[in-house]
Amino acid sequence: MAPNSQTILVVGGGIAGISAAIEAAEAGADVVLLERSPTLGGRVAGLNRYFPKLCHPTCGLEINYQRIKKNKNIKLFTMAQVATVEGQAGNYKVTVKTTPRHVNAKCTACGACSEAATSEIPNPFNYGLDTVKAAYLPHEMAFPMRYVIDGSVVGTPEGDAIKSSCKYDAVDLEEKEKTFDLTVGAIIWATGWKPYDAARIEPYSYSESPDIITNVEMERLAAHNGPTKGQIVRPSDGEPARKVALIQCAGSRDTNHLPYCSAICCLGSLKHAAFVRQQYDDSQVDIYYIDIRAHDKLEAFYQKVKADSGIHFIKSKPGSIVVGEDGRPTVCGEDTLGRDIYANAYDIVVLATGMEPCSAREYRVPVEVEMDDYGFIVPKTGNGSGIFSAGVAQGPNDVSTSVQTATAAALRAIQAVRG
Amino acid sequence: MTANMAATIPGQSARKYDLGFARWVYENIEGGDKLSMCMQCGVCSGSCPLGTEMDYGPRKLFMMVRAGMKDAVLKANTMYNCTSCYSCVVRCPRGVPVQYILQDLGRAAARMGYQEAKTTDNARFAKAFIWSTRKFGRTDERLFTFKYYLSFGLGEAIKKAMANMSIAIKLVKTKRMHLGMPHRIKGTKDLNAILAKAAEIEKREQGI
Ligand SMILES: Cc1cc2nc3c(=O)[nH]c(=O)nc-3n(C[C@H](O)[C@H](O)[C@H](O)COP(=O)(O)OP(=O)(O)OC[C@H]3O[C@@H](n4cnc5c(N)ncnc54)[C@H](O)[C@@H]3O)c2cc1C
Ligand code: SF4
Ligand code: SF4
Repeated sequence: MAPNSQTILVVGGGIAGISAAIEAAEAGADVVLLERSPTLGGRVAGLNRYFPKLCHPTCGLEINYQRIKKNKNIKLFTMAQVATVEGQAGNYKVTVKTTPRHVNAKCTACGACSEAATSEIPNPFNYGLDTVKAAYLPHEMAFPMRYVIDGSVVGTPEGDAIKSSCKYDAVDLEEKEKTFDLTVGAIIWATGWKPYDAARIEPYSYSESPDIITNVEMERLAAHNGPTKGQIVRPSDGEPARKVALIQCAGSRDTNHLPYCSAICCLGSLKHAAFVRQQYDDSQVDIYYIDIRAHDKLEAFYQKVKADSGIHFIKSKPGSIVVGEDGRPTVCGEDTLGRDIYANAYDIVVLATGMEPCSAREYRVPVEVEMDDYGFIVPKTGNGSGIFSAGVAQGPNDVSTSVQTATAAALRAIQAVRG
Repeated sequence: MTANMAATIPGQSARKYDLGFARWVYENIEGGDKLSMCMQCGVCSGSCPLGTEMDYGPRKLFMMVRAGMKDAVLKANTMYNCTSCYSCVVRCPRGVPVQYILQDLGRAAARMGYQEAKTTDNARFAKAFIWSTRKFGRTDERLFTFKYYLSFGLGEAIKKAMANMSIAIKLVKTKRMHLGMPHRIKGTKDLNAILAKAAEIEKREQGI
């Protein structure tokens, strides 16, 4: 019996979801791509540069956006999530729920609404390190290139001012939550990850000092479109961060937190060391590590960073990070190659927190899927099932591996819908 | 300290490897079965408030267990310096019950007759503590401190007591230490029966 629907649903519009959607669509399949936030791009859009070649994320994203624009087989819904799934491979009834953007397709991204807005909200793109106007563009690589109006201004004089500022009649303050149904033959979960909550690692005092930050915040500090326009400075007073500690496995490989290795944080921190060293000639970066996991093609980057005399490697998982009397964060522990007990003060301390799959706690996958102990969804779940996973939803992958898993998922989904 | 140093200097006769020691620890020491999970990250030693007082921090001691350095491990003062604050246990990323292992290694060293189990400061202190507990059912700070001092010999005990006199006077003034007859609990006899039972169970479990 032929499957009823040949449409493939991709949930999550990060690099994995985008890649899976494009690969399937370019092979002729009909694809619906759902993204919960107002834009495609996922976490990659928030990176300053990405290894191994330290490319700007625009490179990877822009070419994919062009492919989506050119392809009639892809239907994209942003600010959309799956509410329920019923049925089986070849015939899933899916209910989708959308939240209002309050800006319709007439938006030209002129920015007049943002000029008119007066209130500010924490900027999700910069992990709350700064604020944006309540009418905002998610970031300069947004797709669709369309503004968002925060629900907080609806029904206020500010909301009215925003609406009348738009020359194109693109502001729709009446827009409500909506649901609609889809019938699809296969589903690819590509819902990615969120940074492990650093505040839970109590001995590392993340909540105690603005100068103790996470690796994703470091990406934003170093980025030209970040809160400091790319200046790596102490969040507490804006002074240059010349002495920097990078703490590996902050919450990863830890039975109290994420028991697995997040796989990318070592390379992420090597990258951060390079960012700091490029910015300040007289800088010093200390990397505290258990072991450096730079495998295969990534080894060369490790060797390059290691050759820099301004970057030191300290084999030690710190016991604690405390705020010293002078207010500077101080890293305390035992150097395991000697047996020195150290307490070293820094301008900023960066916690290399791991990637926690969104499917673990962030949302409940509304259909039966097979997960490992940590909440990652196994690549192909169940025999004859039409449910697959890709990217970090599947395991702690870097961008290139995420794209590989996405291509694999697209192929499996095509096979499932073609019967 | 010197004995321990000798045990770790290559070429010295005190350096002995017992290749079955790690296995023995895994199988016989409380929590030892989890010791193979240790990844030598250093969190325990780096979190230990007494880390700098120990001949080796827990991490290094565990490496020495693995290396089979039986004598050096059982002569270390590490076990007796542990204050049971449990920082290491709650922070260890691999679920190793560090404190339990140290505690039981100390007991094993005492059973095997290692002198350090009697002569390190904290071993003497623990002995005086249990003496007071048995006798009065509680700690009499004054008598148990003097008992501890006495373990160094009478002359040394008097010296130590005189040196700490001003502290003692302050404690008396603030009613933290009292003069006169020691306070006792009512059921010292029952308490000693409980302690005897505990010792009996321990012996049984150790198969002695
Ligand atoms: C500090 C740091 C630095 C890094 N640097 C690099 C690097 O230099 N090079 C490299 O190769 N990798 C790097 N990585 C890893 C890289 O970020 C990931 O490989 C990549 O983000 C994986 O993409 P993804 O699409 O699987 O997930 P994501 O990027 O997380 O995308 C998932 C998308 O799904 C959406 N979503 C989530 N839940 C739902 C839902 N319920 N419904 C609908 N949509 C949903 C999200 O909004 C998001 O847009 C780094 C990671 C960290 C932590
Ligand atoms: S904290 Fe745990 S894993 Fe780390 S060295 Fe100590 S015992 Fe080993
Ligand atoms: S329990 Fe003992 S070994 Fe562990 S940190 Fe406290 S004093 Fe140190």
